[in-house]
Amino acid sequence: MAIASTTTAPADTAAAARLIAAEERGGARLTAAMLVTPATILVAVGLLIPLVILFRYSLNEFVTQRKLMVEAVTIANYAKFFTDPYYINVLVRTLRVAVTVTAICLVLGFPLAYVLARTQSRFKNLLLMLVVLPLFVGSAVRAAGWMTLFGSKGAINATLMGLGLISTPLEIMYTETAVIIGITAVNLPFMVLSLQSVIENIGRDVEEAAFSLGAHPLAMFRRVLWPLALPGVLAGTILTFILGMNAYATPVLLGGPKFQMMGPLVYGQFAGVNNWPFGAAISFILMTATLLLTIAANLIVQRRYRR
Amino acid sequence: MARLRLDHVSKRYGDFHAVRDVTLDVADGEFVVLLGPSGCGKTTTLRMIAGFITPTAGGVHLADREVTGLPPWKRNAGMVFQSYALFPHLSVAQNVAFGLEMRRLAKADITTRVAEALKLVRLDHLAGRLPRQLSGGQQQRVALARALAIRPDVLLLDEPLSNLDAKLRQEVRVEIRELQRQLGLTTVMVTHDQEEALTMADRLVVMNEGSVRQIGGQRDLYERPADRFVAGFVGRGMFLTGRVEAPGRFRTEGGLALACDGGASGPAVLALRPERLEIGPAPLSGLDNSLPGTVEFISYLGAASDVHVRLSPSDRVIVQVANRGGDAAPEIGATVHVGWPATAGRLFAPGGDPPSL
Ligand SMILES: Nc1ncnc2c1ncn2[C@@H]1O[C@H](COP(=O)(O)OP(=O)(O)OP(=O)(O)O)[C@@H](O)[C@H]1O
Ligand SMILES: [Mg+2]
Repeated sequence: MAIASTTTAPADTAAAARLIAAEERGGARLTAAMLVTPATILVAVGLLIPLVILFRYSLNEFVTQRKLMVEAVTIANYAKFFTDPYYINVLVRTLRVAVTVTAICLVLGFPLAYVLARTQSRFKNLLLMLVVLPLFVGSAVRAAGWMTLFGSKGAINATLMGLGLISTPLEIMYTETAVIIGITAVNLPFMVLSLQSVIENIGRDVEEAAFSLGAHPLAMFRRVLWPLALPGVLAGTILTFILGMNAYATPVLLGGPKFQMMGPLVYGQFAGVNNWPFGAAISFILMTATLLLTIAANLIVQRRYRR
Repeated sequence: MARLRLDHVSKRYGDFHAVRDVTLDVADGEFVVLLGPSGCGKTTTLRMIAGFITPTAGGVHLADREVTGLPPWKRNAGMVFQSYALFPHLSVAQNVAFGLEMRRLAKADITTRVAEALKLVRLDHLAGRLPRQLSGGQQQRVALARALAIRPDVLLLDEPLSNLDAKLRQEVRVEIRELQRQLGLTTVMVTHDQEEALTMADRLVVMNEGSVRQIGGQRDLYERPADRFVAGFVGRGMFLTGRVEAPGRFRTEGGLALACDGGASGPAVLALRPERLEIGPAPLSGLDNSLPGTVEFISYLGAASDVHVRLSPSDRVIVQVANRGGDAAPEIGATVHVGWPATAGRLFAPGGDPPSL
């Protein structure tokens, strides 16, 4: 009898606890709903609605002579893009620049993020500020700065020629290299911050455990640090890739008029030749390419490291 | 044969001596415990053996090899971390296999040795789990299996039990000790829990403020503490301050005249242990010291009670009385007599920092 009563009592309390928990969950759901509502509305109004309109525009016709958009349902704009080698070229170049920038950011950013995450220095916050500092300078100002460095009479060429290493100035300005350097400088902070926050949460003791088990630093990195940092790698990579694909100011200012990337191309169609349907179509192609590659990268990484 | 040898090892951080001139030989198959209060340099010493910290002076020898300047991955020391430090992205079996893979063993050998190690800690049925799907005690055993699998020259344990609840700690204590005996593992463990240290060690190293105060077996430390610190830290000690008036005669600051065991004239501290004192309603015959006093406080501890007796305005002692039931326990305010043989007290030079009881 005594046993029976002791077994029912916990059951009762468990039931009561479940009830309370359920109520709390309900309450939490309500609060959560209230918290995400403003953001949801903002995203819907600010992003989804324009996207829907944009997509509709991309199916419209454009009358060149009168520079007018005419209501229609046609895929002519998309066909125009994919049949003209010029546009294909711009897309390929954009992808190439974005992938290169992302790779450079990862290679440069990882050691930097690691040092920032592990430092015991009192100046850690200052160091973090230094990483973000480039973002305080607007694109135009930064590009002007790069010009003084890259130009035919810029600092780099002046130095190299002064040292007698080269006789004619190197062409850095208005090349893909200049654009890649420029975008890398803008994107690096995003990569570093994404990685740093994840690495910070990987215990130092886990690395030490690997060392004590006979792993030299490279093996430790490959088997422990990298797989554990992967969420940060993924976040940073996606962020820099998207920023690279959509770069506007840097390609315009450092690439010059003949260097075309997707971002400036879209803007040119809208503002320059007023061809909204084609501009809308390019926007969608850019967005889709970015999205597909991001998802693909995600899947590959997940398959590789899933367990 | 010394498996592990610390030769006048020191570690300085700026002006601060975290570890000061530690010399220690650990024999093959021996279980040595580093014991001391927080901040005394135990972890620093252990990490110098593992290779995470390079000593500022002195040498570390492991399995007849000087390893002082070697990085951890070139030593063969198995370490169990206080936090366990399991690899969160690897399964239990993969965690245990890690060290073997680093040693480039054949796949088949790795499989057998992982199974062996997991069997030793009775976790073979959980080989496929991830660390986060294990209880604290199970995680601890995985950490142990992972360190054992590499067949280390020395097993290093940094407070391995501190994250377990009291009951589990007792069990794991015995388990680790049995495993260590069975495998003949040379082991160095760090703890600040003296009960843990006393029950597990072959030999204890008592440290304070970076230095070794005494090395010895349980009985050595308990019966013959080298100084006042060890007397207070190992077991329970009470300290009566005063002076030795003549060999065999001690006078407390409160004016009590006590018989003691030898001693040189001058200021001194007399250390007593609560379990060595006797208490009775009448003067105790046959003991060198028998003093009247008043019971001020009693704390009931189950198997025994601590009776706090005031002997003089400035001298109070604690007497541990076994609770046998039946016999009338002293009451607060009662007048009692406390006695002990002269040999039950130990004399130390004054000063130092006795942890109060
Ligand atoms: N990197 C460091 N820089 C300066 N002082 C340090 C450093 N590491 C440790 N110390 C100091 O060295 C002393 C010994 O530290 P250690 O970690 O060895 O103590 P411990 O005996 O393990 O203590 P606990 O029982 O609290 O773990 C401490 O006073 C600590 O403050
Ligand atoms: Mg410690």
